[in-house]
Amino acid sequence: MPTSDLSPAQAAHWAARAGLPLLPDRHAAVAATARHIHSVVATLRELEFGDVPPALTYQAELAYQAELTHQAEQDQHDAAV
Amino acid sequence: MQPYEMSLAEASDALRTRRLSPVELTDSVLERAGRTEPHLHAYASIDAERARDAARLAERDITAGRHRGPLHGIPMGLKDLIDVAGAATSAGSRVRDGHHAHSDSTVAARLAADGAVLVGKTHTHEFAYGLTTPQTHNAWDPARVAGGSSGGSAVAVASGAATFALGTDTGGSIRVPAALNGVVGLKPTYGLVPRHGVTSLSWSLDHVGPLTRTVEDAALVLTALTGHDPRDPASLATPRADYRPAARTELTGLRVGIPRTYYFDHTDPAVEAAVRHAIDELQALGAHLVEVDIPMTRYVQATHWGLMVPEATAYHERTLRTAPHLYQDDVRILLEAGELMTAGDYLRAQRSRTLMRDAWSRMLREVDLVAAPAVPATAVTAGQETITWPDGTTESVPDAYVRLSSPANITGVPALTVPVGQDAAGLPIGMQLLGRPLGEDVLLRVGHAYELTHPARGLAPAA
Repeated sequence: MPTSDLSPAQAAHWAARAGLPLLPDRHAAVAATARHIHSVVATLRELEFGDVPPALTYQAELAYQAELTHQAEQDQHDAAV
Repeated sequence: MQPYEMSLAEASDALRTRRLSPVELTDSVLERAGRTEPHLHAYASIDAERARDAARLAERDITAGRHRGPLHGIPMGLKDLIDVAGAATSAGSRVRDGHHAHSDSTVAARLAADGAVLVGKTHTHEFAYGLTTPQTHNAWDPARVAGGSSGGSAVAVASGAATFALGTDTGGSIRVPAALNGVVGLKPTYGLVPRHGVTSLSWSLDHVGPLTRTVEDAALVLTALTGHDPRDPASLATPRADYRPAARTELTGLRVGIPRTYYFDHTDPAVEAAVRHAIDELQALGAHLVEVDIPMTRYVQATHWGLMVPEATAYHERTLRTAPHLYQDDVRILLEAGELMTAGDYLRAQRSRTLMRDAWSRMLREVDLVAAPAVPATAVTAGQETITWPDGTTESVPDAYVRLSSPANITGVPALTVPVGQDAAGLPIGMQLLGRPLGEDVLLRVGHAYELTHPARGLAPAA
């Protein structure tokens, strides 16, 4: 798997595994860019996800409905006060 | 005032009352484009004959009493990622040489049905995978970048070579060039504007929206674009609405969130000063300012890259293998390196997005919208690769330009950029208004209130 010390040869290996043969003159540049990307996205390993599912679809309507419900609750609360 | 100088709303009113004809307006915009294009290169292609044909048709319809609405007879540009039947969608790439779109994208069809006049296709950073649009020059200083990836659309609108334009936004590609060229840019709520027929960069982050000279104009264009389309799996089934804001400046009771964190970090002092001044103006109009903490800021770039990089690589899987040499170097290397990302990387980004969306939802219960800079710096000189901040740290230009935009792509919330001034060099500065999902009406109301008290600066010079 790509890591922060990914070498040009390893980059070529993993690209080939993904079905993308790279010419030798691409190995070093691809390795450098892949290392940089990895250094950025690796930050996500710090997060404790527990049972959190992936957000595979955006649910603006649900968010909107939740907002309306919240507003209605707030209004009820305000009226009661 | 020449017709090409009119805002969409002004031109529309003149057309409706027949003080101006669509042919006069289109000729004026084409003539203006003839003067600006040699210096600015906003367009990938202009089809003057097609535009004049459409304008003549609009003229006949309006004369016969068949006025179709505010966009009827209005000249516009479409980012060259947006399919128009019979035209090439070049996507700014040699990979697309010989391309021919067989049918209209949903947005092109809706604009055509409303009688808008297509002037041409505007330049994009190759496949929208970049923040500068190197083919195009900034409307206010041709030595500087247009911003991207919808750079051509922003420059065309800023310079008078289009009355409005459409762009796409995956990490700021509408808002960044809009801010850097002093025009209005709206990234709607994810799913509000259908993307069928629009070349994708990253399916879960892509949006289509308007670039205009005023907030009112953005509302008029958005009204024409919304409505469910089952051909875009993300398209929302929300009812169509009229987004045109009322002509009032009263903002009493509105809670405007002012970020304590993130949005003013590593921001050019001139940008911060202009945006804070604009926020003070919102307060003077009656808004209540509330400090807010932006959640999960440490994970914004990681989440954005974790989604965009593998999705973009997946979209280009075939051509990256058959014609890699046809891509520009900056795009090719990102697509190739994207092949090395794992499913685990992608799923972590999607799970982080769930957390970020929930956290933003909680924050947006405390305020009606958030006001912040759109871009942390003004347009850099073409070829400049990094920005050095006052504390000595450096940041790549693309990273800086995308930094304040990508949270709205990750969370899907609507975001509007409004011009709020210039730096000492005369380069435009944009204020970003971020709202709740489907809260476009609030953003447009606030943006319009601001522009009523601080009218837009006018067009950029022709050269």
